[in-house]
Parts: sequence; structure tokens; C-alpha cells
Amino acid sequence: MPAPRLGHPDLGFGLGLRTVHFDHILKNRPAVDWFEVISENFMDSRGRPRYILDQIAEIYPVVMHGVSLSIGSTDPLDRDYLQKLKSLAGATGAKWVSDHLCWTGVASLNSHDLLPMPLTEESLRHVAERVGVVQDIMERPFVFENPSTYAGFTGSTLTEWEFLGRLAETTGCGLLLDVNNVYVSSVNHDYDPETYLDAIPPDRVVQIHLAGHTDCDTHIIDTHDKPVIDRVWELYRRAIDRCGRVSTLLEWDASIPPFPELHAEVLKAKSVLGSPGDATTAAAQLAELREKTGDNEPAPLESRTTAPHPLHHSAALVD
Amino acid sequence: MNAPPEPSPPAATSSDGPDLGRVQRWMLAVVTHPDGIDEGADAAEARRWIDAGAGQLESVVTRSRRLSASERLAIYGNAYYARLLDCLGEVFPVLRRTLGEDVFNGFAFDYLQACPSRTYTLNHLGREFPDYLRRTRPATQGEAGENDDWAEFLIDLARLEWTIYDVFDGPGMEGGEAMELPDFAAMEQGNWIDLVFRPAPCLRLLEFTYPVNAHFTEVRATDDELNLSFPEPGRHFVAISRRDYIVRRYPLSEAEFLLLGALAEGASLGDALERLLDALGDSVEELKLEESLPRWFQYWSAERCFFTGIEGSVD
Repeated sequence: MPAPRLGHPDLGFGLGLRTVHFDHILKNRPAVDWFEVISENFMDSRGRPRYILDQIAEIYPVVMHGVSLSIGSTDPLDRDYLQKLKSLAGATGAKWVSDHLCWTGVASLNSHDLLPMPLTEESLRHVAERVGVVQDIMERPFVFENPSTYAGFTGSTLTEWEFLGRLAETTGCGLLLDVNNVYVSSVNHDYDPETYLDAIPPDRVVQIHLAGHTDCDTHIIDTHDKPVIDRVWELYRRAIDRCGRVSTLLEWDASIPPFPELHAEVLKAKSVLGSPGDATTAAAQLAELREKTGDNEPAPLESRTTAPHPLHHSAALVD
Repeated sequence: MNAPPEPSPPAATSSDGPDLGRVQRWMLAVVTHPDGIDEGADAAEARRWIDAGAGQLESVVTRSRRLSASERLAIYGNAYYARLLDCLGEVFPVLRRTLGEDVFNGFAFDYLQACPSRTYTLNHLGREFPDYLRRTRPATQGEAGENDDWAEFLIDLARLEWTIYDVFDGPGMEGGEAMELPDFAAMEQGNWIDLVFRPAPCLRLLEFTYPVNAHFTEVRATDDELNLSFPEPGRHFVAISRRDYIVRRYPLSEAEFLLLGALAEGASLGDALERLLDALGDSVEELKLEESLPRWFQYWSAERCFFTGIEGSVD
């Protein structure tokens, strides 16, 4: 029987490391428990991004989160990519390394999107075999996140929670439970998010993600550009009641606010979890919290084309 | 990464549905089609893998309570182009402002179809963009017309911006040694002509037919709407390098460009000077090399991002 959370500690409440906050973090050393970095933003860097990361990794615990593993693709695994991933994990002392249950491309083409898989026995065998290879190369258990998805396949025979639970059981991998993604996908695929949360094997959940999204009325897009909505906070409370305290991270990738505002958003999680009780009390606690912070209005819809997570690149510093 | 083997040609429909590889090839063909989902599903590339045209999308992709299969796939199709256009716009911010977002996105949209990403990183997405603009520029008809001038200007600007982006996150001088200026005056002439200068790994030397470096500076200096006048053509030379993780731009004279170019290629100082003299011909006397050379080397040494060191005897 594997140790809960693969033996990883509860790191507390972390934030995604973003370029616009580099200077603030190094100058002020804010009391953030830990940072998550997008692996691809640093694994090839021989410039300022890597220089900054090395400094931050000396001060804070760091976790690596990737968007390009493409574990579900039928293309061969990119071993050069995996070696770079392993090298970065060693250099930064990353506590664990994660990516998504998805495929990003095929036939050597890369969409740079987290594309959905038909959830079938064939897919499960395929992914499980590749997870084994990845874990052998990385010499550590890998952690997989449930992505936000916008389309499903007629050929699917498994639910996503069944798929992830069996994948974890078969391969020994960990799970990154993105509570916002559970909610987004539940709306997009017309299922009950509580059913999802209640079926995930709690002892395999290494980390939780929280984020904001864009409600387009007919569907929801995972944009990481807004505060977490109350419904997702409620689901978070339910997940913690089931899994116990788990390292929790807020993602914010577009329209990124100043660092103190971002930090305050993840610390709401502490308030949500502050007193014992069941999930039904979370809504009341949140209402009180939002009254204090004046954060009541839902954010307006984006006028331009809404691009879902992931977005990963950084602007150059020029004289 | 080697090209993966392709799945076998479509077989008769089985009770298990199409295999994973075929579904993935089909979906990628559909969501990246430039004309949209229905056109993508009807196109030969998608039908090669799953023969479900626009009218049969729901035989492969489920509908939700509020969206059809086509609408659901369109979320991925829209995101594909939106994400990559946004990424290219960040790599070429001045070109985007110069052209305006709509025109820039038009060029970038066509580029993405000609040169789709084939690596795990978005950092390489813009690498072929300047060459793509060059390959697809309007054909010159007789004397250079307005379009032709603009095309060359835009290609120059794209080259400049890609070089800046590439140098920013590539290998640099930080943590390494910079060249110490040799005391030329104390050296015997026979010694210094054999010196070979090791170029900084981040040094790039660019020749332009329009003053795009000045244009880059001008555009970055303002957030206001641009009111550009078309610049006069002329040969311009720029060195790009990096120090303290900041990309630096150095306008050069033609003589500096030629000398730096020869040295960066590994020529000895004597050979590099000979090449410079050959290239400049009679105009070399105006340069007063005996005054210029010490000043240039002093400047390149002080900037600490042109050369890492010297090979050969400096005694």
C-alpha cells in the first residue's frame, strides 16, 4: 500500500511562478509556502528565466508542472524532452513533477493544447504503458492532472474519474486534482462534480489546483484569468474533507494581477479551511469572506477570442 | 524525434470504433483546419482517418446539452489559432504594432499553416517567420514598388525581433569571462596580427536594408498610436548581444560590422583587417584606422559582451 500522497508533504498554499512577478518575489521574499513552475518555460532557458528560477529554488520549495509531455499521444515519447525534464527537476530540487492526462499533438505536429482522449480500455492501456516508461526515465513517480475538456468521444467507455483512478492504481502515479477543471468539465460534459470528487482515490492526490475560468453561458473555458468562484471553493472544501490537507496551488496565467492580490486569492483557501465542518458550511464562510474583501461581482466575459490554458512563453528584456 | 509510424489505412468500421491513433490524427486535422471545423471534417486529410464529414461529426464526438459536436470542437479550433497568434505577437511585438493586429495576424495565420509547430516548446514557434516572410513576399515587378519596399522593411524588422528573442534566452556571458583589452601599443606588430578573438556566444551581427533598429527604439518608446512615415532605405548594421540578462543593441559602422564579422568567424586580427581593407577599397583612408581600431576594441572590451577572450600571445 503506497504512502498517502506518494509520501510527499503538504507544502501548504502555493502560487504559480510567473515572469511578471520575478522582481517582486526576489525583492520582497513574500511568505508564500511554495511555487509551481511551468517546466517548459525553464528547461531550455540559458538566460534570465533560469537564473531567476535558480534563485527562487534556493528560497522556496518548487514543484514542476508541464504542458508538453503528451502522455496520451500515439507518437513516440520524446526522450530528449524527458531527459531535460529530469535534469531540471534535479537542478531545482523539485518536490514532484506533474503534467496532464491529455495529448498535445500527433504525426510530429504539436497543437500546444491539452487535447482530450477517448476514455477507453485501449487508451488506458496505452497511457499506463507510457507512464511506466516516463517513471522509469524520471526515476520517480509522476503526477497527472485532470484537464479541462470541451469535447468527449462517442467511443468512450470510462468516466474520467474511473480512468484516473485506474491509472493511479496500475502505475503507482500520483494525481493532481484540479478542482476548477472538475467543475469546468462537469458543466461542459453535463455531469455532477461531487460524483467526480467522491470517486477519486484520496490517498493518491498529491496536489490540488485552483483557478478562475470564463463562463461563456453555453460552456466554460479554463482561462486562469479570474478569481476562483464560490462554487469551486465549495468543491475544494469537499475535496479537502475527503483527501485531507493537500498542497494547494492557485494558477493565474492571463490578466495577471499584482503579486499581493494573487497571494491574497490563494490565502482565501486558508479561510475556507479555517474551521472544521462539512462542505455545506463553505458557502456561508465564503459569503462572509467576500463581504470583507468586496469581491462580489462576477468578472465580465472576455470580448476577444478566449484562449484556454496553457499559455507559456515570456517576453525578452531589451535595453 | 523520429516521425512515428502511421496507422494502417482505414478499415471497415469495427464494434470498438476507430483506434486511438486514427482518432488523434482525425481530430488534429479537424481542429487545425484554417477554414473551420466543418470544413476540416469534410477535408481529405480528416476523412483519411475517419470518414465522418461535417454532417456526421456526432458519430465521433458527443454533443452536450447546449453545444453540438461541431461547436465543441470549435472551442479547440479557435484556441489553437488564438494561442499561437498570441505567442507570435509576443515574439514580434514591434512588428505587430507596426502592421496593426489584424494585418499581423493575417501573416501569422498563414505562417502557422505553412510552418506548424513540431516541437514541445513554443520558444521556437517564430524561428522560421522571417524566412517565411521573405519566401512569400510579393514579387518585384520592374522597379521596386511600394509593396516591395514595405516587404523588405518588414522582413528586416522580423529578423531583428527574432534575434532579440533568441539571444534573450540563449547562452550568454553571465558568469563567464569577458575579454580583457590587450595592450596593443606594448606588443610587437608581428604578435598582434596573429591574435584570434573568441566571440561571445550571444553575439549576433545583422545587416539591414532599412533602419529597423531605430524603428524598434521609436516604437517601444511610446504606447500611443503609431504615426509612422516610411523610412528611407539604406544599409544599416547592428550587433545584438546580452549582458546581465538584458539584450543589448549596438548600431555599427560598416567597417565595424565587417571587422567584427571576420573576427567572429575566427579570422586572426591580421586577416580580418586585410579583409576589411579589401572590402572598403579606397574609402578606407577616411576611416583613420589607426585612431578607430583602438577606440573600437576599447569599447567592445568595456561592453563585456562582444568577445570572451583572445587566443595567441599577448605578450
